[in-house]
Amino acid sequence: MKIGIPTETQSGERRVAATPATVKKLIKMGFEVSIQAGAGAQAQYLDGNYAEAGATIVPDGASIWKDSELVLKVNAPGLLEDGIHEADLLRENGHIISLLFPAQNEELVARLGKRGVTALALDQIPRISRAQKMDVLSSMANIAGYRAIVEASNLYGGFFAGQMTAAGKTRPAQVLVIGAGVAGLAAIAAARGLGAEVRAFDVRPAVKDQVESLGAKFLELKFEEDGGGETAGGYAKTMSPEFIAAEMALFADQAKEVDIIVTTALIPGRKAPVLITKEMVDTMKPGSVVVDLAAIQGGNCGYTEADKVVVASGVNIIGYTDLTSRLPTHASQFFGTNIVNLLSDMVGEEGYAIDLEDEVIRKSLVLHNGEKIWPPPPDPVVEKPAAKPTAEIVAPTSKEEPKGISKLASAVGMMVAVAAMVGVGLYAEAAFVQHLTVFILACFVGWQVVWNVTPALHTPLMSVTNAISGIIVVGGMLQAAAPTLSTSVWLGALAILVASINIAGGFLVTQRMLQMFRKEAN
Amino acid sequence: MTIENLPNVAYLVAAVLFIRSLGGLSNQETARRGNLFGIIGMIIAMAATTIDPRVRSVVESAGFGAAYNVMIGAVVIGFAIGAFLAVRVVMTAMPQLVALLHSFVGLAAVLVGVSTWLAHPNAGAVHQIEVWLGVAIGAITFTGSIIAWGKLRGSLSGRPLILPARHLLNATITGAIVFMAVPFMSGVEGLDVANITSSTSFYLLIGMSLLAGLLGIHLVMSIGGADMPVVVSLLNSYSGWAAAATGFMLENDLLIIIGALVGSSGAILSFIMCKAMNRSIWNVVFGGFGANAGKQPAPSGDGPTGTVTETDVAGLTELALNARSIFIIPGYGMAVARAQHLVREMATMLRDNGAKVSYVIHPVAGRLPGHMNVLLAEAGVPYDTVFEMDEVNEDCPDTDLVIVIGANDIVNPGAETDESSPIYGMPVIQAWKAGTVVVLKRSLGAGYAGVGNPLFYNDNTEMLFGDARETIQGVVASLRG
Repeated sequence: MKIGIPTETQSGERRVAATPATVKKLIKMGFEVSIQAGAGAQAQYLDGNYAEAGATIVPDGASIWKDSELVLKVNAPGLLEDGIHEADLLRENGHIISLLFPAQNEELVARLGKRGVTALALDQIPRISRAQKMDVLSSMANIAGYRAIVEASNLYGGFFAGQMTAAGKTRPAQVLVIGAGVAGLAAIAAARGLGAEVRAFDVRPAVKDQVESLGAKFLELKFEEDGGGETAGGYAKTMSPEFIAAEMALFADQAKEVDIIVTTALIPGRKAPVLITKEMVDTMKPGSVVVDLAAIQGGNCGYTEADKVVVASGVNIIGYTDLTSRLPTHASQFFGTNIVNLLSDMVGEEGYAIDLEDEVIRKSLVLHNGEKIWPPPPDPVVEKPAAKPTAEIVAPTSKEEPKGISKLASAVGMMVAVAAMVGVGLYAEAAFVQHLTVFILACFVGWQVVWNVTPALHTPLMSVTNAISGIIVVGGMLQAAAPTLSTSVWLGALAILVASINIAGGFLVTQRMLQMFRKEAN
Repeated sequence: MTIENLPNVAYLVAAVLFIRSLGGLSNQETARRGNLFGIIGMIIAMAATTIDPRVRSVVESAGFGAAYNVMIGAVVIGFAIGAFLAVRVVMTAMPQLVALLHSFVGLAAVLVGVSTWLAHPNAGAVHQIEVWLGVAIGAITFTGSIIAWGKLRGSLSGRPLILPARHLLNATITGAIVFMAVPFMSGVEGLDVANITSSTSFYLLIGMSLLAGLLGIHLVMSIGGADMPVVVSLLNSYSGWAAAATGFMLENDLLIIIGALVGSSGAILSFIMCKAMNRSIWNVVFGGFGANAGKQPAPSGDGPTGTVTETDVAGLTELALNARSIFIIPGYGMAVARAQHLVREMATMLRDNGAKVSYVIHPVAGRLPGHMNVLLAEAGVPYDTVFEMDEVNEDCPDTDLVIVIGANDIVNPGAETDESSPIYGMPVIQAWKAGTVVVLKRSLGAGYAGVGNPLFYNDNTEMLFGDARETIQGVVASLRG
């Protein structure tokens, strides 16, 4: 099957749908790969690298579209400068895998449908754990979150990490991240990495652990809301008006304190909620930066304009919608790998095939031989996200009962021991009592001494006790010394023999082991 | 001046040295001195025995040769064999050697017991019981250790043997051993060693030895391979009690003291091992764990499912190069693959690359208490980079990369969350809390406990299938560049 990778044509797009490494994997899977000359140039992947990986370099885009049975792309097909639409370049009944956003692009879907196209929308891949390796939204969100901090640091006039120098000291930058999804967490990690102090807010209390695990402070509202703030798809859901009021009050307070705000609140298919109002921005310190990752859907900040940096009251509001494209090398790598993972699931014994029984394919397939089959029928049972593992460990309650039994057992044991002692006291010979004394005291000494042994030395301990228990050689020696060579002597001799093996073997092997243990020489 | 008391004083000195020896092993700095104390103690004890009153009376009555020829000959041969074994053993075969040495103590106890009885067939009921006990414990230790040895070498299957009426069998044998002691207690007047086959007591003693031997075989046969650390330490304990019983029999305080020391040392080790698996000693000894007769999760049934993310040598290398803190969790699989030297090499290179590399050892990793520590030490891993589970478990979330080498149950999150899991409640290394976990394993198969491991299906877990040795070799090669 022929795969074609055209150059991305959307303005400002630097990514490409395949890298030399992913091309290699595609070829290994049995595909033939052609790539438009210069497709990877802006992502620092050169034609030579692709050719080396086994791809055919095709000079013009039109023939890529025409000759390929399957086109891999980053963005949805769009209008070219010369007035031709990419959708019309695709061959009849061809296949395309790219971002499609079918809800927003109904016209495009219809256009592709007319040509009998089979189209798989990467943005519709369900958020189930099996499909995580092909989830471009997650992999791109990660990049966007990281890049948001890079962009912010670019415009922010100060250090992120606190400084303590002869020329004075500065506080670490204060960063607020709103929304701790993939992008938010990536932003937290990046800001922490630069040395900033980070606080984060999310309507889903469940993400608190994740936020804290990255070293950020989790801001909490003293407010009860049902359902954990999460929809079945793992996104934050819309909250009640009371909750939103409390939330806004929190943001208003925070705006006065922080230097950088990163907002990532997106609700799928809806206009993004305005969380940082113009009034809040006006109270921020001059020179502060707001990075709005929701700019493409209207923005979380009142001043946001898509693809622009707005300066208001001395505050920079970044509304770039191409943050992932601003990190094109690795973005292309992740994007390409996501596609490879998707294809490797689709490629069966008979090669590439569309399996409508497959949940991932069914949900992300928008057009099947020109027929629109999106949106897919809803799942019969809506999964409750309550299946999230709760870290709480419930102490096993069944322990109670055996405790009673073991108390009884220890009482019985005590009585038996006392009875045995009385019996010994009444009937045993003096010599035996003396030996018993030695025995019991030695047990206690052994118990005390061995408790302190470090676990790392358990094996040497065992081999040394092994050697020491070879002391039984003494018994054999006493038996082996006799005026005549009786059976008893021979048995004693054999005992000496095996016990000696033990002594020599045990001590030597312990010596060998202990010599190996060494401390780091530095 | 008299040398009457000299042996006893020497025994006292030896006993103190042995206690110091065990105490010395409590930490790395004093461990070698501890071993030296043990050796000196043993030399003193053996020298003192040569001037024991009983031996001296033989010298007086029958001359030097009668007293010492056999004794010295046996000691020399034994030492030679022991030294040969000790020098030749490879560290991965340590569990087998330890088990084998235990069996020798058991055998010696049986031999000394029978020999003592033949020499003094009628020394009172207490003495008869002491002989009985010494032989019984010795025989159990002997055969049990032989079975353990076979299992650890792999010549016997690691799977537990579950007989239908195994508890009844154990109880019957134990009962028989006790009841047979009653007629034996009365002793024999003027035993005719030349015509020994006419004596009932002789048959009783031999029959009991065989029964006790059978008990030892059955007890160890019914214990699964993963419980071997407990079994080995239990046998260690038994060998101590066998020595103590022999001490009672011979009225020798040194033997009693040493026997008690070793016995309680083994008991503590067993206790620690059991605690590390969250199981009682009875459960280990009689539970037949490791097979769970029929309760094993069906391969496709209720085991954990999900996608497994696979990686390769290049993937692991890249992860390792980018990680700032790395935990290496070795398990029995590392021992099997003999990968410890390569693991050390890899860790050293990663450390040179700026990462903080630590080894984390679970108490029951391997087949012997402390087995992993010995293997790592053999490979030249500095012991201060090797940590116990409890020391570092809470650092797991701050760790970028965890490399699990041939371990399974000890990193199973099900032990903390899944109440239906047979290993629920067992303390485990919380590898899943780290940034990324790479598991080096031959297959997705369950561990010895027969429990599936949800860790393998986690999103932050990557599986690297194949022989651990080859994998690590690959990583080392690509780190060299």
